[in-house]
Amino acid sequence: MTKRASDVSGSPPRRRSTYTLAPLVLIAANVVLFALFFVWPAVIGLVYSFTNYTGVGAFQFVGLDNYHNLFGDSAFYDALTRTLLYAVLFVPLNFAVSLLIANVLVSKHAKGTSVARIIFFIPWLLSPIVVGVLWRWLFGENFGLVNYFVEKLGGHAIPWQSNADLSLLVVVMAASWAWTGFSMLLFIAAIKNVPVSYYEAASLDGAGPWRQFFSITLPSIAPTSFIVILLNTINAMKEYPVFVSLNNGGPGTSNNLLVQYIYQTGFQRGQIGYASAASFVLMLILMAVAIIQLIVNRRVENR
Amino acid sequence: MTTTDTPRRIDADPGRPVSKKRSRGASSGGLRRAVPATTLLWILACLYGLPVLWFILSSFKPAGDLFSYPLTMVPHHPTLSGYLTAWRSANFSQYFINTTLVCVITTILTVGASCCTGYALAKYDNKWLKAFFICILATTMLPGEVMLAPEFLVVRNLGLYNSFAGVILPAVLTATGCFMFRQFFLTVPDELVEAARIDGARELSIFLRIMVPLSRPIMLTLAILSFQWRWNDYIWPLLMLNDPDKFTVQIGIQSIVGAQNINWSVLLGASVISMIPLIVIFLVFQRYVMGADINAGLKD
Amino acid sequence: MTTVGVRRSRRLGRGGMRRLVPLAAVASAGALLLSACGSGSGSGGTAKSLTFWISTVPGQDAGWKKLVAQYKKETGVNVKLVNIPYDGYPTKLHNAAQANSLPDVADVPALDPIWSNKLIDLSSIANNKSYNINGNFLAKDTSGKVLSIPSDVTASGLYINKTLFKKAGVAVPTSPSNTWTWDEFIAAANKVREKTGAKYSLTFDQSPSRLRAMVYEMGGQYVHADSSGKFSVDAATKKAVKYFVGLNDDKVMPKSVWTSGADPSALFQSGDVVAYWSGVWQVASFADSIKKFDWASVPTPAQPVQASDVNSGGMMVGFNNNSDAATAAKKFMSWVYDPKQYTELVESSGFLPVESGLSPKYPFTSEAAQAAFKLYNEEIPLYAPISGYFNNAQTAWVLKGKSLTTDPTKTELGKAINGQQSADKALQNIVDGYNQQVGG
Repeated sequence: MTKRASDVSGSPPRRRSTYTLAPLVLIAANVVLFALFFVWPAVIGLVYSFTNYTGVGAFQFVGLDNYHNLFGDSAFYDALTRTLLYAVLFVPLNFAVSLLIANVLVSKHAKGTSVARIIFFIPWLLSPIVVGVLWRWLFGENFGLVNYFVEKLGGHAIPWQSNADLSLLVVVMAASWAWTGFSMLLFIAAIKNVPVSYYEAASLDGAGPWRQFFSITLPSIAPTSFIVILLNTINAMKEYPVFVSLNNGGPGTSNNLLVQYIYQTGFQRGQIGYASAASFVLMLILMAVAIIQLIVNRRVENR
Repeated sequence: MTTTDTPRRIDADPGRPVSKKRSRGASSGGLRRAVPATTLLWILACLYGLPVLWFILSSFKPAGDLFSYPLTMVPHHPTLSGYLTAWRSANFSQYFINTTLVCVITTILTVGASCCTGYALAKYDNKWLKAFFICILATTMLPGEVMLAPEFLVVRNLGLYNSFAGVILPAVLTATGCFMFRQFFLTVPDELVEAARIDGARELSIFLRIMVPLSRPIMLTLAILSFQWRWNDYIWPLLMLNDPDKFTVQIGIQSIVGAQNINWSVLLGASVISMIPLIVIFLVFQRYVMGADINAGLKD
Repeated sequence: MTTVGVRRSRRLGRGGMRRLVPLAAVASAGALLLSACGSGSGSGGTAKSLTFWISTVPGQDAGWKKLVAQYKKETGVNVKLVNIPYDGYPTKLHNAAQANSLPDVADVPALDPIWSNKLIDLSSIANNKSYNINGNFLAKDTSGKVLSIPSDVTASGLYINKTLFKKAGVAVPTSPSNTWTWDEFIAAANKVREKTGAKYSLTFDQSPSRLRAMVYEMGGQYVHADSSGKFSVDAATKKAVKYFVGLNDDKVMPKSVWTSGADPSALFQSGDVVAYWSGVWQVASFADSIKKFDWASVPTPAQPVQASDVNSGGMMVGFNNNSDAATAAKKFMSWVYDPKQYTELVESSGFLPVESGLSPKYPFTSEAAQAAFKLYNEEIPLYAPISGYFNNAQTAWVLKGKSLTTDPTKTELGKAINGQQSADKALQNIVDGYNQQVGG
């Protein structure tokens, strides 16, 4: 394989698009894995979405019934809008905080970065169930630390759990806290790749830290910023475990996001067909979001 | 080989001495800059650290003190009983070996496969590569629950049930990894590749000799990510492995969470124990990422 | 020499290690894939070696461990005990059935249609007169085949903060024969809360089973099927559920438990809640963890029905993997249910026995725990037959190939308490959910 690839590329350089074998060799392993562990099961799932499969035994094809029912269910739209709201809140917050932290950690001026780094990293290692108990300890309505101080200072307990919007806000904060480690790692690697000479040139020109950040760091790490935004958007729209452990989609069902909706109305009631249909709709929504972001990103890059 | 160096030396060489000068300057007259940066760092660290501190201190509390009111931060009667019960509750030493094995193999495969794919996606311009990039992103878009049952059938049909391969192989392809390498290689100037081609270097050796070493910080970063993902995997290893001698750490930890009640002090102790290897990996790898002095202009 | 990357690439030159890594990775991925084919596992044990799946939290598997070791000593048969986490256990059984690798014996939380046809008939154990196994809790199919025997039984249990009651000078009933009604109990708890300044009168597990028990005690049947299998709710149930929803007013009960999953056990253990409606399994953990105040189990309320929701704690089943292993599995289970061994199991696991006529001595040092177990062992025989309705109904559904994967009660009542819908509408939705999943 390698030999043949090099034969092609061994000839004088051509335009990039003329290489076929080399890229094919490079992606071969992932193509095989993709076909085996994504396409194959996804096709099975897609077939289920047109049936009334319950997880056991035989099933009948029901055409587009599952999709039809899904689009007729108002709970689905509630979940969808709540999911979009969550993503809109979570992605920018996580982006800003992680980028700030990564910058401070890389800065040569800050002292004690090695200890601080562990503090920022640990939340990402915690299982959702532990994140849940930690944030309930902070924002529990009845016995939480924040309300403890609010009441000590003479205020009224804030309904962190029984008010739907505050409850969502707590999850946004908790999730940003927990996901910082991930985004921060990507940012650190990207910032370390920015050539130091750029900063030196800017320093000589008398640019302060803010100018340097906006005119050097931010443009140079743009490709990584794009990863963080796109992946965090997808992850946010699939968020489920943190909600389960923090407020169980509550109060009531007001903070049920799409995956929880799929899980509760589909899998837990043995409606695998319906759950599969909803999952593929979610996938289409995410695909649309991703493609829009890719197009916007290309426009920005080419500007 | 020499030609590959040429375009980089131009802007890298003058950078080097200045950089030394600057770091010296920072240590002598940098106090004015150190104060705000350090203050900001530690304000953030305190905000982030409060739940972390409660988490670690609470793991030393006996079960009865955990939810007592008024709230306490510091354990009155510190105890290791949570840790001991957790450690004894399952065959954790075996689980650690198993999990380490799975994590190391998966991480090596993931980094290798992602590096190859990411490079191909960034440096070759074919329609089908663009399509494959979208395909890779699509793997993140279905909820795990919907894939679980069909994926189980597939892996069973491949004869991988109850083997580590059944845990490892489905986890190798990650969109995050391919994406990270793609974005990184986009910042590497095409001129570097072109120059090597003019020199007569073969395609794959350009990749292996020039590109792979350049991407070391990304490799290490992805290795940290991949290690964390695999270390914390729970439901897939549970379904895939039938033999308790093959169980992983998370299976042991999850068994602390019962049907009706959770012994929080044991769970917190177990969580701390399971976290230690990840922190060690993080510290070691991060040191290389932070220490890698990639001063050369990668983007012109 | 200008950069790490370039320097390294030159030093390595041809044949460097580093370039081999990705290639090796790709190659070994392929190799693993090939070599792993055919490494499937055989199914089932042998006459001398059995696999036994259980699901318990740390410390509570002591009873099983002891029995298994003893069995090995007496018969030479090796029983491999595997503890599977509760979260994921049903899925694991489901998938193991598909992969043809079920254990030989298991203590499962519920039956599943996908494997219920692979079960061994346990009637010879269940009908053994000397074992005195309570027939109400067996899972039987229409032909009389016994599919499972409970490992133990569980019931709802009412706990109070005895210190607060004492401080307020409010009395509690001392025996099941002079128990209180729900109204009397709530009034007493409110009085204690007001007098002592506690935060809430009661926390109530977010569990359909606990609600069923309360409805039964108030004369209702909760969601009940008629002879045609169609579900409905009676007037007493509607009244009881409305009463329950009303109790969630952030004074008597905190709303956060049923609306957003707050931990009622943690709230009670804080010492600032007067009472806690949960289950018998809390005794062992309270004996261990509550040190700040005195707690006690008190008789379950009766208004006027003396009832509870009694379930099998776990269901012991045997799988027919091969005839040798099936025979050995049945022999092992028969040995476990022998009153001599079963008493040991009950004592060291803190179980309520499914066999009558035992007098287990529980190893608790806590007086409250000893008193609690004494109370439950007295109370369970007094409960009305409705108490076992749900347990039996579940088995019947599974044998019809259906299962109530998730009771809609939690979600629907959460919405009602949150003010998103009325209690009656919630009940209507719950009935619809039952009809859709297990009706007919």
